[in-house]
Amino acid sequence: MSERHYLTGKEIRQIAKDNAKEMRLLEKNKNRKCKEEEFLSTMNDPNNILEVEDLHSYFYTDQGVVKAVNGVSFSIPINSTIGVVGESGCGKSVTAMSIMRLLQGPSGQIKSGSIRFRANDFKRDTLGNYIPIYELDDSGNILKETITDKKGNTIVVDKVKKDESGLPLYEREEKVYDIAKMPIKEMYRVRGRQIAMVFQEPMTSLNPVFTIGNQLDEASMLHIPNITKELAKKRSIHMLDMVGIASPERIYDAFPHELSGGMRQRVMIAMALVAEPRLIIADEPTTALDVTIQAQILDLFNDLKKRINGSILLITHDLGVIAEMADYVIVMYAGRVIEQGTATEIYNNPCHPYTIGLQKSKPTMDSTKDELYNIKGNVPNPIDMPNYCYFKERCDKCINKCSGDYPKMVKISDTHFVACHLFEEKENE
Amino acid sequence: MFKYIIKRILISILILVGVSFVLYALLRCMPTDFVEQKILNLYQAGATTSDEFIQQMYKTYGLDGTIIEGYFKWLGSALHLDFGKSFINQRPVLSEIFDKDRMGTSFFVAAVATVFEFLIAIPLGITAATHQYSLRDYIITILVLVGISLPSFFFGQVLKDIFANKLGWFPVSGMKTAGITYDNAWEAFTDYARHMFIPILTVVILSIGARMRMTRTNMLEVLNSDYIRTARAKGLSENRVIYKHAFRNTMIPLVTSLAGLIPSLFSGAMITETVFDLEGIGKYALNAMTQGDIPVIMTYNMFLAALSVMGILLSDLMYAVVDPRVKLA
Repeated sequence: MSERHYLTGKEIRQIAKDNAKEMRLLEKNKNRKCKEEEFLSTMNDPNNILEVEDLHSYFYTDQGVVKAVNGVSFSIPINSTIGVVGESGCGKSVTAMSIMRLLQGPSGQIKSGSIRFRANDFKRDTLGNYIPIYELDDSGNILKETITDKKGNTIVVDKVKKDESGLPLYEREEKVYDIAKMPIKEMYRVRGRQIAMVFQEPMTSLNPVFTIGNQLDEASMLHIPNITKELAKKRSIHMLDMVGIASPERIYDAFPHELSGGMRQRVMIAMALVAEPRLIIADEPTTALDVTIQAQILDLFNDLKKRINGSILLITHDLGVIAEMADYVIVMYAGRVIEQGTATEIYNNPCHPYTIGLQKSKPTMDSTKDELYNIKGNVPNPIDMPNYCYFKERCDKCINKCSGDYPKMVKISDTHFVACHLFEEKENE
Repeated sequence: MFKYIIKRILISILILVGVSFVLYALLRCMPTDFVEQKILNLYQAGATTSDEFIQQMYKTYGLDGTIIEGYFKWLGSALHLDFGKSFINQRPVLSEIFDKDRMGTSFFVAAVATVFEFLIAIPLGITAATHQYSLRDYIITILVLVGISLPSFFFGQVLKDIFANKLGWFPVSGMKTAGITYDNAWEAFTDYARHMFIPILTVVILSIGARMRMTRTNMLEVLNSDYIRTARAKGLSENRVIYKHAFRNTMIPLVTSLAGLIPSLFSGAMITETVFDLEGIGKYALNAMTQGDIPVIMTYNMFLAALSVMGILLSDLMYAVVDPRVKLA
């Protein structure tokens, strides 16, 4: 690493040139047209709903390439809650944004890696239309029904199976999409419909000029085929009711600025649930809320997880929230996963010095010390990452080996992994 | 709401009185007044004048007292809706300024130009914003910057030279072809439109820049906001995100600025009208200005001041219409 704290004109021009080239390539890839086969994939483990493998998400800035997510791998099993913890700027949110492909281009890009997601998508015929489910009689023939079409003629058509609200049902199939390889135009298959996201700032995350109802209906209209305005409204009001909003009819017609922060976050959750997604990504959903509302929102998530039969990826820096909610925990530091395991393992047996530090930093009532514990030092400069362990400069347990290569993931138990040289030694013994 | 409007109108009247005083004082301080010019002309024609004659002249035009006296005299008669007679041709000022043809010409140019300005500038601003830092953005930005920077008297002449002199597609100046009689209204209109084309083009190109920059900045700000990210996360297509969610928010300042454009519709484009020899209010006012015709300039400017104050009030009211967060009280 150079001792200078500035860039020369020559370096700046070189960076700009390299960035432009790289960004143009990635943007082109993002906007390309391609066949479905190109982004279909298979899961490594059929019990997983999402598998992230060696994900690299970079920001091409004028000072250089910021490797915000630098080789992250994890997976989310069906019906589980995964918590991602780490301090600010460690790449938690960028990971979530990458899964939704919401990184702000052209500077924010997924450089490489794969995000495999098992979707329960509509089956399409060769023309790309959805295939309805027909009602069959006992011998397996399609039932017929007579209807009057728009011109008033009576015609005989195949009878389509309908749900309780009278909407036709369509055939669905399990497909594995590699989200990292999907062109942005195809993301409508996943966003909102399969994976929904709840953001950190409820105060600014709703469009101020449209009513709550308008914004909720929009999601239904988009993801449920053939839905009518009236049905969408009914559904929206039901959703508002489900997330615990009193007098949903009144809120339906309200504008976002007329609601409190907790109410808005509930609306955001209702909006995420409209299309019954398989995975909900909650990016610090309670950070902007006060403690009592926090508890309510977390309860709501726990309750919903059971109801919708899906998984939750919960991003937070609050270890208390993780303890409450998560089945598995991923600890991130400087764009990498440094430790992962079940919630109990991370709590009772934290291995990485950073995880231990994080736990100690949590203020408790029974502590008699005047000062709070903090991990000394700062996160290394994200543009110029060292080759050795990123935590070395802040670590109080360094050994000689720490100056060497970046540590590999070491297995502690079947579910518990840590990236630290201390444990590599032990494993070798 | 009603109370708010009444309150605002009362404040507006106070503002207008203040404006009228400042205007009158400034006009009286102009280096050569109307009488001086007239006497200068008489001298040049070889006539001799006495001091008494000059005093008499000042008295006839009402310029003999101090500024304060003169102002209150003007205000007194203005309150009786008597705006006096033009110094130049002694016709009543009101009928001169609100002359149908004169006001009509200026209004036509300004209204058509404003419509085209919005129709061109807003899509350009949106494209520039959605393709920020792309080649398209740079080209649009550079072109409109050229438009903003060119002075109208120069750019008007350039367009005139290209389209009227070199190519001969449009008439050089004036408002109708000399000595022509029309068979029907359509012919009359096309002839009129042909004469108005280059002036309108000049005004449009010169005004697009500011509007486009405004749209682009607003759009960029909106596109970076959290609710746009929410809209994308919902699964909306990029077009829906931009033209439904972002556009409504971008329009808030644009719609309100539309109300602020009211005075410019009636003020006339002074320089453009002079360059193209159009009989509009702008050219008329410029002429009155150079000759020191105080009643005309006072009335013209007060009319614009009243329109501006009304425009500001209207744009504040528009905010409450387009932005649900704004409540007037």
